[in-house]
Amino acid sequence: MKEMLNELLMEDKTLIHVPFGNGFFDIYKSVVVSWIVLAFLIVLILVMTGNLKVHNISKRQAALETAVLWLRGVAVGMLGEEAKEYSTYIITVLVFIACSNMVGLFGFTPPTMDLNVTIALSLMSIILVQVAGIARKGPKGWLKSFGQPMAAIAFMNVLELGIRPLSLCMRLFGNILGATVIMELLKHVVPVILPAALSVYFDIFDGCIQAYVFVFLTSLYIKEAVE
Amino acid sequence: MLNISIFNIACTIINLLILYFVVKKFLFGRIDEILEKRREEVDSATKAADIALEEAKSTKREYERKISQAEEEKETILADIKKQGYDEYEKIVLDARKKGERIITEARHNAEAEAEKAREEYAGQLKDMVIDAASKIAATKHSAEDDSQLYDKFISEAGAHNG
Repeated sequence: MKEMLNELLMEDKTLIHVPFGNGFFDIYKSVVVSWIVLAFLIVLILVMTGNLKVHNISKRQAALETAVLWLRGVAVGMLGEEAKEYSTYIITVLVFIACSNMVGLFGFTPPTMDLNVTIALSLMSIILVQVAGIARKGPKGWLKSFGQPMAAIAFMNVLELGIRPLSLCMRLFGNILGATVIMELLKHVVPVILPAALSVYFDIFDGCIQAYVFVFLTSLYIKEAVE
Repeated sequence: MLNISIFNIACTIINLLILYFVVKKFLFGRIDEILEKRREEVDSATKAADIALEEAKSTKREYERKISQAEEEKETILADIKKQGYDEYEKIVLDARKKGERIITEARHNAEAEAEKAREEYAGQLKDMVIDAASKIAATKHSAEDDSQLYDKFISEAGAHNG
């Protein structure tokens, strides 16, 4: 058990070692796996959106249009009408996290199990939230919004700037790590059948849930920021 | 898993931005373009249908106007014709009446003349007969019986001539 945790948490994540910079430029496995995810998604998007037609659409295009509109509906539903211009980013993150969580099915380590990836994601989220707030209220209004609903809790509001991304990144990291640990343990106890069945839950269902939770909270923050 | 590398965080952020760009530019860009085109087409089709409907309505109005006009024209023409016909009829009847009257007058005149002539002729014959009968009576010996016979003959001859 302990060795396994050690193996999972402390393993050398470096995949591509860059000879200069004293290890600063080393590229981790998670980044390489996310490149694979990225390549897969980009190729999928390019193939799916190639040769789109206005009339006599193929089944592929119909499915794509339905899926895209549905995703946008979900994102706008979470963001609210006032912040719907951020739906593209929300969908991007949703798809990226969902795919990243599911690469475990193909034998990769999920990129979201690396703290660096979740930190990047939550940093982006908190920056986007603040940018949305500034864009909507102007710099002055944005600064004033820290003093609301009363000046006394301004400290808490400033604290939230750190707490929100931290909770976002730790939640995602912890959930995926937990799922992977449980899967590893299960594989030790019951090597066949059961891991396959539970992998449907931990890799697909939990992966989607965590992706949804992440973007749901991000959109909630954005919605709050533009109010 | 727990050591943090700024460089890898930056790499992930760049990855996300690339993915965001691709999603925005290709996925949503292309699909929105298609949807927009479709919406425009529907809009223009609706507009064209509206215009066609409006045109049809105005054409219908035009036709109705023309038809009512034609109806009016028909009425006036009919009235004209009727009037003309009545005038003609009146004229013809008047002519015919005049002609008839003239014919009747002429006929009456002719008949009167004829009758005059016949009367004169008859008077002449009667005169001749009276003379004849008188001369016969004067010339022959006669009895009362002969006289009455003679009178009868005279009367029957006069009746035959007069008839």
